Amino acid sequence: MNLEDELRSALRRQEASPDFTERVLARVAAAPVRRAPRVSQPWIRWVAAVAAALLLAAGGLEYRDYRGERAKDQVLLAVRIAGSKLNKAQRKVHMLAHRSNS
Amino acid sequence: MPRRASAPAAGFDFAGLVRQHQAMVFSIAWHMLRDRAVAEELAQDVFLSLHQHLAEMESPEHVQFWLRRVTSNRALDVARRRQRRPMVSLENAPEPVALTPTGDPLLGTALKKLVAALPEKSRAIVVLRYQEDLDPAEIARVLGIPVGTVKSQLQRALALLREKLSRSLGEIGI
Amino acid sequence: MKPARLPITLLLLAGILPAQQVKWNFDKLAARASDSTEVSLDGALLQLGAKFLSDDDKDQAKIKKLVGGLKGIYIKTFEFKKPGEYSASDVEPFRAPLHNPEWQRIVGTHSNEDGESVEVYIKNDSKGIGGLVIISTAPKELTLVNIVGAVDLDSLSELGKHFDFPQVEVEKKK
Repeated sequence: MNLEDELRSALRRQEASPDFTERVLARVAAAPVRRAPRVSQPWIRWVAAVAAALLLAAGGLEYRDYRGERAKDQVLLAVRIAGSKLNKAQRKVHMLAHRSNS
Repeated sequence: MPRRASAPAAGFDFAGLVRQHQAMVFSIAWHMLRDRAVAEELAQDVFLSLHQHLAEMESPEHVQFWLRRVTSNRALDVARRRQRRPMVSLENAPEPVALTPTGDPLLGTALKKLVAALPEKSRAIVVLRYQEDLDPAEIARVLGIPVGTVKSQLQRALALLREKLSRSLGEIGI
Repeated sequence: MKPARLPITLLLLAGILPAQQVKWNFDKLAARASDSTEVSLDGALLQLGAKFLSDDDKDQAKIKKLVGGLKGIYIKTFEFKKPGEYSASDVEPFRAPLHNPEWQRIVGTHSNEDGESVEVYIKNDSKGIGGLVIISTAPKELTLVNIVGAVDLDSLSELGKHFDFPQVEVEKKK
């Protein structure tokens, strides 16, 4: 018996429930739509596409994107951890204040 | 620094993306958390977020990467919080339908439970390695951790699984 | 001698450079921890990351505003295999720099339910709040947070509430 093969077998993908897609679409339909602003003039989109292609070819955009995305993830993680701890302390204080007032 | 151009959302069929990736997203959450209801809820939230960020997606590969990353990180968050407040007994967790059932079901169940008992980060690494067949460099990118950490944690996790499994089931060949 | 059990989450900001505010040495704890997470964002990295946050996402837009005035965020989390692997005396060196008069402890809480304690310190300067330290301890986890700069505590706390996914922790029937 090979452990890694058994792990691949044990951890095979599983289906979500049969109506999963419908439920996601229903939630999306109920949520407010957020879209990035679109550039209306076709020539500006063309210029942007050419510029993006050139930068991609040079690799510079890809690397800056990678660094920027990594930094963004770290910012989100940091705010999540710090915010969670701070919120926990704040909730406890509010709870105690509520108890002493009642 | 100029803001990068984003791909038009019209290039992606969102419902198609959900159908294509639901098993991947749900399974990452399920194997991490071993709670079907929570895994489905988390998976739905991830797709809702995808819909909100669809304009930023540049390619099908980008979508898949994004989904793996967001699902793994959210599952890690939930797993860490649930560590102190377990919701569902692992013994009672019902098994969802496998896409292609194979292998020894008893061994498979035992392995799944052992994986679920790993520390959260190791668990995520094992799931991404053996469910998604990602190599350590890809896992490092998804989780935002050094590739050295991925390799060492993977080695330790396999050693631990091997040890626990061999105690209950006998010798295992590698 | 086994150290006494202490639930503590310690937010630790280790600072070697003046920008980090406080200087902490993690070597002793790192040797005993089974896992650790580190976030180290100086001013330049913070602003780079902020540029990639979406203005269309309400939470990300708030985070962009929050980090706009900050000079650094430094976080260290240690995880331990079992309770009792670190003690109160291990945590005390991290509090030492905060005894300076410019620092003020504004909150100290403890939960008997999960054994977690949280302490919050702010640094006062001529413009108001110039920094934030959070120390959080729990039986198997120690977290240290150091934020340099003018922090909006209410916004940070509100964002923390959003990120905690309370809806996922409640069992739901669909």
